[in-house]
Amino acid sequence: MKYSKVIEEIIQKLIEIVGEENVKTEKDYLEKYSKDETSEVKPHLPEVVVFATKTEQVAKIIKLANEKLIPVTPRGAGTGLSGGAVPVYGGIVLSLEKMNQILEFNPEDLAVVVQPGVITGEIQKLAEEHGLYYAGDPASSESSSIGGNIAENAGGTRVIKYGPTSFHVLALEVVTPTGEIVRYGGKMLKNVMGYDMVRLMVGSEGTLGIVTKITLRLVPKPKYLSTLLVPFDSLENSINSVPKVLSTLGFLPSSIEFMDKESVKMASKFLNEEIPNMESPAHLIVEIEAQDKDSLAKSYMKLGDEMMKNGAVEVYIADNRHHREKIWKFRKAIAEGIIAFRPTHCMEDVSVPISKMPQIVLEAEKIARNNGIEVLSFGHVGDGNMHVTFLKPPEMSSDSWKERLENSLVELYKLTAKLGGSITGEHGVGVKRRRFLKIFMTEEEIEFMRKIKKALDPNMILNPGKIF
Amino acid sequence: MNIIVFIKQVPDTDKVKIDPETGTMIREGFEATINTFDLHALELAVRIKEKTESKVTTISMGPPNTEDILRQSIALGADEAILLTDRFFAGADTLATSVALARAIENIDFDLIIAGERATDGETGQVGPEVGVLLGIPVVSYVSKLVEIDKNSIVVERSVEDGIERWQVELPALIAVTRAVSEPRLPTLSGKKKAMKSSVKKLSASVLGLKPEEIGLRGSPTRVSKVFNVKVTRNVQMYEGENLQEGINRVVEILRGYVK
Ligand SMILES: Cc1cc2nc3c(=O)[nH]c(=O)nc-3n(C[C@H](O)[C@H](O)[C@H](O)COP(=O)(O)OP(=O)(O)OC[C@H]3O[C@@H](n4cnc5c(N)ncnc54)[C@H](O)[C@@H]3O)c2cc1C
Ligand SMILES: Cc1cc2nc3c(=O)[nH]c(=O)nc-3n(C[C@H](O)[C@H](O)[C@H](O)COP(=O)(O)OP(=O)(O)OC[C@H]3O[C@@H](n4cnc5c(N)ncnc54)[C@H](O)[C@@H]3O)c2cc1C
Repeated sequence: MKYSKVIEEIIQKLIEIVGEENVKTEKDYLEKYSKDETSEVKPHLPEVVVFATKTEQVAKIIKLANEKLIPVTPRGAGTGLSGGAVPVYGGIVLSLEKMNQILEFNPEDLAVVVQPGVITGEIQKLAEEHGLYYAGDPASSESSSIGGNIAENAGGTRVIKYGPTSFHVLALEVVTPTGEIVRYGGKMLKNVMGYDMVRLMVGSEGTLGIVTKITLRLVPKPKYLSTLLVPFDSLENSINSVPKVLSTLGFLPSSIEFMDKESVKMASKFLNEEIPNMESPAHLIVEIEAQDKDSLAKSYMKLGDEMMKNGAVEVYIADNRHHREKIWKFRKAIAEGIIAFRPTHCMEDVSVPISKMPQIVLEAEKIARNNGIEVLSFGHVGDGNMHVTFLKPPEMSSDSWKERLENSLVELYKLTAKLGGSITGEHGVGVKRRRFLKIFMTEEEIEFMRKIKKALDPNMILNPGKIF
Repeated sequence: MNIIVFIKQVPDTDKVKIDPETGTMIREGFEATINTFDLHALELAVRIKEKTESKVTTISMGPPNTEDILRQSIALGADEAILLTDRFFAGADTLATSVALARAIENIDFDLIIAGERATDGETGQVGPEVGVLLGIPVVSYVSKLVEIDKNSIVVERSVEDGIERWQVELPALIAVTRAVSEPRLPTLSGKKKAMKSSVKKLSASVLGLKPEEIGLRGSPTRVSKVFNVKVTRNVQMYEGENLQEGINRVVEILRGYVK
C-alpha cells in the first residue's frame, strides 16, 4: 500500500478541524504514541497525533485521510497487548482520549451512554453507586478506555458469568472508514434489524470503523461476594475439577482463575507477600455472588466441598473485603511482576476448550524447556483462556531469544490449532500475531474477512497492518 | 495459656466519612466487618496457640448482629467468642466501652490480652490501654513484634517514632498491636464449618453486675463538641526542564535541614 506523507498542508487542515491545541508533532508526543503495552512489538513513530473531541471531527479527519491517502490509527488509552494502536505505517494517530464524557446514565433502561475515551473503571464505579453493575472487567479496567475494550472485545475475570465486552454493548455510533457517521442498535437487548453491525464492530481492532459513542448494558450489582483460593495437588486436577464442579453446583461462579506455581512465585516476589500453599502445582481463584449472606455461605460450602473431592488440598474462603482484596491483588500482581522483573517476555493469549487447558500448560512447559527459555501460565479457566507467557532467561542474548521465542510460539500455536483453539481470546491479533494467523485459518477464511475490510475501507486507510 | 482478643465491628470502608451537619459518622451503605487491626491481633493469638497449646477467646461489645463477625473469628482460629450485648451498652464512649470489657474479662482466667492498635472507625486507640489500666495489668502499646513468650512473661518490640523499644513484661498483660505484628491468614473451609456450628456466648449488663449509670451513654463522660474533616492543603512547587537543577538543589537543602 502506498501512502502519502503528512505534509504541512495536511497539518493545517487538521488544525482547522480540531484546533491547534489538539494537533501534536513534537517528538515527545510522537514517541509516546508510537507504542502500547505490548512487549515484542517494535514502536513506530506516527507523523502527527490528533486529539478529537467530537464525532464530526473524527468524520472530517477520516474524509481528509481518504482524500490524501494518509493512514489513520485510532487509539484509546494505549494499554493494548497486541500492538493494535501502533501506527505501523506512520501517518495520523487519532486519539479518542479527550472524548471522555459519560453522556447519559439511564438506570430506568439499565443502560449508560458514553464516549469512547472514558476509562472503564469510571463506568463501573458510577453503576455501582446506583446498585448496578457494568460487568465488563478487564484487569486493566483502571487504565484502559471503553473504546479500546470494544475494539478488542476485551475479556477479563468475569467472562464466565457475564461474557466479554460484546455481551454488554447495546448500541454504537461509528465513523466508517470512509467518513460517514452511522448508528446501530438501541437501548434494548433484542434487535434483529438487518445485519448485526454492532457485533461486527466489536472486536474489529479499529480496522472497520472508529467508535465514537457507546450504549452499554447494566445489570443488577451482586450484593455479597466471596472469593475462594484453592491450591490443588496437581495442575490437571485444578483445571479438570472445574467442569465437574460446575455440573453439580447449580449456579455459575463469576470468576474462575488459574495460576501455576511460577505465576504464584512471580506475584509473591512482586508484592513481597505469600499466599498459603505456595508450593502447590496450581491454585484456582473462584469468586461467587449471592443476594444474602446465608446463601453465600451455603454456596461456598458446597463449592468448597466439591473442590475438595476433586483434588483441592485446602479451600481458603475470603468473605470480607480485606481478604478478598488480598487475593485479587495477588492475582493482578502476576502481570505486574512479569513487567517489572522480566521485561523481555512474550505474553500469549491462546484459548482452547476447557478440557484441553491442562495440555496447553504442560506442553508449553515442554516447549519452553526444549527451546531453553522459561515460561509461566495463568489465565481464565472458566473461559478456556490461558496466558502462557514466555520469559527470556536473563543471561540469554537477544538474538538467541528471538529465534527461540519464534520457535516456541509456532509450536504453541500449532498445538492450540490442533486442539481446536484460537490464537487470541481477548488481546487481539493486532500486529503481534498477524503473521501466525494462517496457522489457524485457511486462505479462504482470511480472504473472506479481507473482502469485508476492502469493501468498507477501499483506500485501506484505517489502522492498516493489523490482523491480516 | 489463655489469650483474649478484642474484636470490634466496624463499617467496611477505608474512608470514614463524617456528616458535617450532625458530626456523626456515616455508617449507611457499608457492610459490617471486623476491625482490620483486630485481624492482626487475632492472627498473633492463633500463632501463639499453635506453638504453645493455648486457648483463644474473642470478645466484643456491640449490637446483636456482632455475632456474625465473632463467628468469623472462630473460623480464623478462635476457640470461643463472647458478645456483650444489651441496650444499656449503647452510646458508650471509650471509657464506658472499657469498663464493660474489663468487667467481662475479670470473670475469665487469662494470661494475655491482645488489642488492635486502634479501631478503623473510632480511631482513638484508647480502649486497649484503658482496659489494661482498669484491670491493673501492664500495658504495652504499638507492639510490632512478638519476640518471646512463656508462662510468666512476654518480650515484645514496640515501634516508636525514632526507633524500636524492646520490653519484657510479666503476665498477665495487655498488648495493643500494629499491623506489622502478623499477616492475617485466610479462613479455611473447615474453619468456616466449625464456626457455623459453634455458638457465641452472650452476656448482658445485669449478668455482669454493671449498673446502667456505669455504662453506655450514661456512663460516658466524653462530650463531643465538634467533629470536622481536616483539610490537608499542600503547596506543590514544580521544577522542570531548565529549572531542574534549581529543584534538585532545593531538595538537597531540605534534606540537609532534616538531617541536622
Ligand atoms: C496490566 C494489563 C492488564 C490487562 N488485562 C486485560 C484483561 O484482563 N483482559 C483483556 O481483554 N485485556 C487486558 N489488557 C489489554 C488491554 O487493556 C485491552 O485490550 C484494552 O481493551 C485496550 O484498551 P485501550 O483503551 O488501552 O486501547 P488501545 O491500546 O489504545 O487500542 C487497542 C485497539 O483498539 C483500537 N481502538 C481504540 N479506541 C478505539 C475506538 N474508539 N474506535 C475504534 N478502535 C479503537 C486501537 O486502534 C487498537 O487497535 C490488559 C493490559 C494491561 C497493560
Ligand atoms: C467522632 C466520634 C464521635 C463519637 N461520639 C460518641 C458519642 O458522642 N458518644 C459515644 O458514646 N460514643 C461516641 N463515639 C464512639 C466511641 O467513643 C468509640 O467508637 C468506642 O468507644 C471505641 O473506641 P475506638 O473506636 O476509638 O476504639 P479504639 O480504642 O481505637 O480501639 C482499640 C482496640 O479496642 C478494641 N475495641 C474498641 N471498641 C470495642 C468494643 N466495643 N468491643 C471490643 N473491642 C473494642 C478495638 O477493636 C481495638 O482492638 C464516637 C466516636 C467517634 C470517632
